[in-house]
Amino acid sequence: MPIKRGAQPTLFVVALAAAVVFAFPIFVMITSAFKAEEEIQSIPIHWLPHHFQWFARFREAAEFAPLWRYFANSSLYAVVHVAATVFFGALAGFGFAKYRFPGRTFLFFFVISTIMIPFQILVVPLFIEIKMFGWQNSYPGLIIPGMMNAFGVFMMRQYASDLPDELLEAARVDGAGEFHIFLRIVLPLLVPALASLAIIVFIWAWGAFLWPLVIVQDRSMNVLAVGLTNYSQPYQHAPMWGAAMAASTVATVPIACLFAFFQRYFIKGLTAAAVKG
Amino acid sequence: MDRKWWGLAFVLPVVGFLAVFNVFPVLFGFYLSLTDYDLLNPPEWVGLDNFLNLLDDRLFLTAFGNTLVFVLGATVPVWIGSLLAALLFDQGFRGKEILKTAFFLPVLPPVVVVAVVWRMLLHPNGIMTWLAGSFRGVTEIDWLSSTVLAPAAMIVVHDWAVIPFFMMIWLAGLAGIPPELREAAHIDGASPVRTFWHIELPQLRATAVLVAAISTINAFQTFTLQYVMSADGGAGGPANSTLVLGLLVLKYGFQYFRMGDAAAVSVVMFAMILAVTALQLWFNRRAD
Repeated sequence: MPIKRGAQPTLFVVALAAAVVFAFPIFVMITSAFKAEEEIQSIPIHWLPHHFQWFARFREAAEFAPLWRYFANSSLYAVVHVAATVFFGALAGFGFAKYRFPGRTFLFFFVISTIMIPFQILVVPLFIEIKMFGWQNSYPGLIIPGMMNAFGVFMMRQYASDLPDELLEAARVDGAGEFHIFLRIVLPLLVPALASLAIIVFIWAWGAFLWPLVIVQDRSMNVLAVGLTNYSQPYQHAPMWGAAMAASTVATVPIACLFAFFQRYFIKGLTAAAVKG
Repeated sequence: MDRKWWGLAFVLPVVGFLAVFNVFPVLFGFYLSLTDYDLLNPPEWVGLDNFLNLLDDRLFLTAFGNTLVFVLGATVPVWIGSLLAALLFDQGFRGKEILKTAFFLPVLPPVVVVAVVWRMLLHPNGIMTWLAGSFRGVTEIDWLSSTVLAPAAMIVVHDWAVIPFFMMIWLAGLAGIPPELREAAHIDGASPVRTFWHIELPQLRATAVLVAAISTINAFQTFTLQYVMSADGGAGGPANSTLVLGLLVLKYGFQYFRMGDAAAVSVVMFAMILAVTALQLWFNRRAD
């Protein structure tokens, strides 16, 4: 619906209003992380910190709960999920796209059918299963169950199908083994798709809440998403809004960085994930 | 080794993983929903009793109703709002890129962060009270302790967080419309509204169905927002007004240790989500 040029100032004003409304809570989050505790809830609002403090709220958050430990746990969780999904997703996607083997159609259907499973239906039985493995309240129990997913296979198969068969044949003529072909020829060609997949998996893993909440009881193994609630509703303690906003800012920075540096892949990944259904 | 076995070897790690951590638990969950199980004694087969009991389980009916209200609030306004935002940011005007980025910011923080930040903004004497009430002299609004305001606030927060995401999906759809179509309408002197209604919207049909389906499916699964924002620490209060099905699964499973009931509730959720998916496929097929 291209609107004529005369409408430009109106469009600008409407867009400005929308942007202000949607950015406002993020703005409050970041500025509050650098305010003195008393001025965070001051009315009228302090748009910018009157008593600017670089690290006080962050230090407070790290003293009240193991903030950096949470950060490390979330990083480990996300890195393992990204690495496993990307590598094994690409491997399986390539396998489904370029090889004919008995049971291929059935196995692909098997994989794709898991895309529709919402996590809520998994949480209770998976919890019992992991308990039977003896992995309750442990890093393997926390990290392994969500480590791979069908979405990665589905996405990678589409991209791998587009690779020319002649390329693979040429490598075979040169005597390259099948796994070598995957590692040295296919993976490098899939890099743009892998980047989008890695970003979307990172966003999912970084925000994961329900599974870490139920499977881990030790504070030292909590991920950042679960740890954050320690500040907003601490046990027998008034909410620590300064620490909560500092920790929230810390939890947002990695994703904000991905968005800032890899915007194209970021948008592509999110769009692909939406269309998967 | 024959080449075809390499293909099988390549797909087996994922297939095996999904069998153990996805397909088995789903089937196990269906089985559990037909049993009584408290984690201590072995599961006891009860047939469909858990599902029949849900029909006059006050807590379940409350959660079911709350979830439907949430789904309604998290779909219709989101569909319209994100479409309007996309049409706005599809225009060319000065400063568009930076304003679009600012508008997109709510997509970045994880849902927990969204919930924690809004919990602060919705403090009874906090910033939202100041924005909403100060001109009328109101200094205290119990946003999250009111059975009406709390669920409404969670809908608004959810919509705020997802509208920019769906705007992006609409923008991808708009970018896929052949420019000739739009230009032709423009040259023919069609008004922007007519162009949108007769030229663009029919081209956006798949996107429209997609946005409707995903927003519905996501809304049925809502959990984190209610868990973090409900006034009584994740119990779905006040007075169960924010108790949604996702919270009820957690409550039955990990608070009351009624694994059979928890599994039955999650099977109901799964059924509703499958129904939405089926509806989406039907709509898409009808369009072809």
